[in-house]
Amino acid sequence: MSERPSEPTFEEARAELEKIVAELESGRAGLEEALALWRRGEELHRLCLAKLDAAQGAIEDLGRRAGDASPQ
Amino acid sequence: MRPEPVLYGDRKVYPVSAFNRGVASWLQRLPTVWVEGEITELRRQAGWQSVFFTLKDPADGACLPVSMPRGTFDALGLDLADGATVHVFGRPELFAARGTFRLRALSLEAQGLGALLAGIERLKRTLAVEGLFARSRPLPLFPRRIGLLTGAEAAAKRDFVTAVQARFPAARVLVAETAVQGPGAPRAIVAGLAALAAEPGVDVIVLSRGGGSFEDLLPFSDERVVRAVAACPVPVVSAVGHEQDTPLCDLAADTRASTPTAAARLVVPDEGELRERLASLRAALARETARTATRAHERLAAVHAALGREGGRTVVRARERLDAHAARLARAPGALVGRKRAELEGLAGRLRALSPEATLGRGYAIVRAGDAVVRTGTALAPGERVDVQLAEGGFGAVVEETR
Repeated sequence: MSERPSEPTFEEARAELEKIVAELESGRAGLEEALALWRRGEELHRLCLAKLDAAQGAIEDLGRRAGDASPQ
Repeated sequence: MRPEPVLYGDRKVYPVSAFNRGVASWLQRLPTVWVEGEITELRRQAGWQSVFFTLKDPADGACLPVSMPRGTFDALGLDLADGATVHVFGRPELFAARGTFRLRALSLEAQGLGALLAGIERLKRTLAVEGLFARSRPLPLFPRRIGLLTGAEAAAKRDFVTAVQARFPAARVLVAETAVQGPGAPRAIVAGLAALAAEPGVDVIVLSRGGGSFEDLLPFSDERVVRAVAACPVPVVSAVGHEQDTPLCDLAADTRASTPTAAARLVVPDEGELRERLASLRAALARETARTATRAHERLAAVHAALGREGGRTVVRARERLDAHAARLARAPGALVGRKRAELEGLAGRLRALSPEATLGRGYAIVRAGDAVVRTGTALAPGERVDVQLAEGGFGAVVEETR
């Protein structure tokens, strides 16, 4: 689904971020682990925002596009 | 009965009535058939032999005049209004006086809602058994492109696009306009669905159709459309008709929305909410990490304090044990003397119990003659002097007789 195999989609990134916060809230994580989770969470947050910012809205017409040799 | 032409030289010419009779006799050879259409311009008058109406094809408006014997029509007892769909059984005939052809109806059946509903119910059961209504895939939170299949009427499309853009301005909507009404609609809808699903990045398809009559929504209960929806490779949201309508495509779709606006809420997230949620997640991330660090620090401090406390407590416990020993040691000699004294008093008691004084105390007396204790009476002689000892004091006595 993503452009590059290593990069998660918005949903995947957000779901992982939710999971990390839940894990931290549970208080199960040790200090080292918590710091690693925090670094990963910040990275996911940046990724989500970047994806939101990069999205470009458009309303296209399939019928007209079909008749067009080079769409867009 | 062949109409006879009049000859003008070598030209055969038929009078109008003869021509009409000829055509009429040809028409009579056609078989009787069933014809379906909508009733319009129903004309019935008491004095007429026949009832007249026009059958109209709802698809393209093609018309067919129909006549039916009034007695037969009245005997059906049908309350037919313009627009009612009927099946007419009859054969074409020529109205010779006017040269127009029409269908001579022998019988007529109303094809009302009941008949249509029964057909849809049958199809619904068949498709349910096949498992076509069992699927409900989750919709993507963040679709790359949204396919919108809609009729040419602007309202449903506008409502959907407006709602999508209000919630998520960055949404990409790909619109496919197709016929959504009439006999060609099912095939057009199926083709539109396939075209949208084939487009790259289309992660969800919305099937939208504004409200309409029961018949208007029939294409969305068409078997071809329902099967295409069920087989669609991407999730489908059905937003067809109003709340109370349940076309079969609603059941085959992954999700159902009551209006195009409601469909928009299902397929795109609210960007404002999304950004707020991300911000709150980030805040929670920082807060929880800090709390984990604080907890780790507190635990360390607690362990350290416990270490000091436990060390001190060990010394105190040792000292207490030592003190207890010392106290017992100090108490030991006194206890020993007491025990010995008690033993001694016990012995003294037993000694006292064995002494003659104790016996005398119970009322016995000791009789002595000289220094010897007297044990038998015959050891004495009358007139002999004896000395009697009691517990308290004693007295001297003289023996009067012996036994």
